[in-house]
Amino acid sequence: MQYQPMPIKKGRAKPPAYKIMTAKEAIEKYIHENCYLGMTVSAAPAALIWEMVRQRDRIKTVDLVITSQIGMSSALIGAGLVRKIEMGYNWGGIEGEDKVFRRAVEKGIPRPLEVEDYSNFGAAMRWAAASMGLPFMPTKSQLGSEIPEYNPKIKVINDPYNNEPVALVPASYPDVAVIHASRADEIGNVQCFGLYGNTDTLARSAKHVIVSVEEIITSAEIRRMPNLTTIPYYYVDAIVHAPFGAHWRESNYYYHHDLAFGLDGYRQFATKEGFDAWIEKYILGTKDWDEYCKLVGYDRLYRLMQSEHKYQQFGEVR
Amino acid sequence: MSNYTRDYSMPELMAVTAAREIKDGELAFIGVGMPLMAATVAKFSHAPNFNMMVEYGAMGPAPLRLPMCVDCAVNNERAYFAGSQREVMGAQQAGFVDVACISGAQIDKYGNLNSTVIGDYHAPKVRLAGSGGANDLASSAGRTIIMLRQDGRNFVNKVDYLTSPGYLSGPGARQKAGLVGNGPAAVITTMGVYRFDAETCEMYLEKIHPGIDLKDIKKAVQWDLAISPHLTETELPTEEQIMIMRTLDPLAVYLGTGRQTLAGDFEAFMAMFENSYHPMVKLMRSKGMI
Repeated sequence: MQYQPMPIKKGRAKPPAYKIMTAKEAIEKYIHENCYLGMTVSAAPAALIWEMVRQRDRIKTVDLVITSQIGMSSALIGAGLVRKIEMGYNWGGIEGEDKVFRRAVEKGIPRPLEVEDYSNFGAAMRWAAASMGLPFMPTKSQLGSEIPEYNPKIKVINDPYNNEPVALVPASYPDVAVIHASRADEIGNVQCFGLYGNTDTLARSAKHVIVSVEEIITSAEIRRMPNLTTIPYYYVDAIVHAPFGAHWRESNYYYHHDLAFGLDGYRQFATKEGFDAWIEKYILGTKDWDEYCKLVGYDRLYRLMQSEHKYQQFGEVR
Repeated sequence: MSNYTRDYSMPELMAVTAAREIKDGELAFIGVGMPLMAATVAKFSHAPNFNMMVEYGAMGPAPLRLPMCVDCAVNNERAYFAGSQREVMGAQQAGFVDVACISGAQIDKYGNLNSTVIGDYHAPKVRLAGSGGANDLASSAGRTIIMLRQDGRNFVNKVDYLTSPGYLSGPGARQKAGLVGNGPAAVITTMGVYRFDAETCEMYLEKIHPGIDLKDIKKAVQWDLAISPHLTETELPTEEQIMIMRTLDPLAVYLGTGRQTLAGDFEAFMAMFENSYHPMVKLMRSKGMI
């Protein structure tokens, strides 16, 4: 496989204009066939991914770039949308083995899936490079392993200053990034409570950025604690208000990971029929995120929130 | 010092054995799962000043409940730091991490691990998770502790895919490759504890778990395994170490069949959290941690 350098086309600064829209509108507007889609594990953009699955007949095919992902990428893979995945890790975490991913790679079900492996940090440094407009980033990961041997995009060279080996990873500029975060104002300043993985660099690398949030707040509240802003408005195209928008996974300081739901889902994903029935019930059978939440049960979601708040609310130790 | 106990499961013995590899005051990179239980035992017993980093951007959490994943909300709880992955993994690449716990599906005599594919990469018999952070930890942490199940087929002459570097092809190979960290210090399995010879970098058996037969260990390793002349039995867990693990993880989500118990059972899952608050507060108070 010959390495094809990626054209560097960064988006321009987005205006400080009103950006709130529904998940349906945002996905319709920005995600198209053959889109190069970026996402990461923290937090899970479930409300946006479910909407992509609902629009799969229109979208047809995407190429995914992730660092690590649990569940969201495999919802797209199982729904037959993904042609290729560039990744550090795609598995179930505590939910266990990802049979959806295995079926696609091993048997081409529901369609063949090309995989491009990196280490997690190696994958993350692709967005670190892109976020600063650089063509690549050197890392001290992946050296000596077989990851570069099976992925010719990783170049091991001797660095020109110290003559010691470094592994270069190419910048990744997704067409669209889908991200879930804590809160945002209507012009798209996004704040995160707690750990946020690499959503900051992902947003800075993508041409278009869709962020779903637990809460919409005023710009005055953003200005009150500006160091919580992980993604300033000029990167952002769309803000989607999706309370509980990461369920079955967690949203820091809002609600806890619904492990009982996740484990039950992964049990059903063990077969293609089980997966298809699951998305028919929870995704295709609901018209939007609110209907999904009603199907799961808002009482259940509030209990997950209460449980999180028993241990921590932002700014308070319990 | 509390007394030794024989009331333990094999995963509990592995977690305690790994905990003993962690020294007080160290900074560790810890994945969720069995390494997390090992880290917790260390923190609550012999290494109160030990702190851990978590892959998606947290350092020094001291939660009163069980973390569920590397990006889990629980990792923010009472943490010293929460933020970006670049902070924690960048610090590791810069050499700030003393020790890390990793795993894999296959291992060879130099401690090289495979967690990517079984069989041919382009037509895999089994596709696995991929590196995740394992390669990064194996590359740059000061030393690594490897934990894996020893099933008779996974101690191989050659791994199908070298995901995470051990000593690569032997003495000097890590330095030649340009790796920051010093490589694996110990391998803890369901059968025993292995270390690496300082000169040859080859794995040898140092300790054997109680009730395991040396003949079975030799059968479970494809190469001609060296045995320490001072082979001893693995130290038993103490009552207190077992109590710590069972307080944090009463349903054995990480060290037993808890996941089967919880699948689809929301009430059991919520009860696990609600019920962990008071015993954990009591445990932390007894250690002067809150």
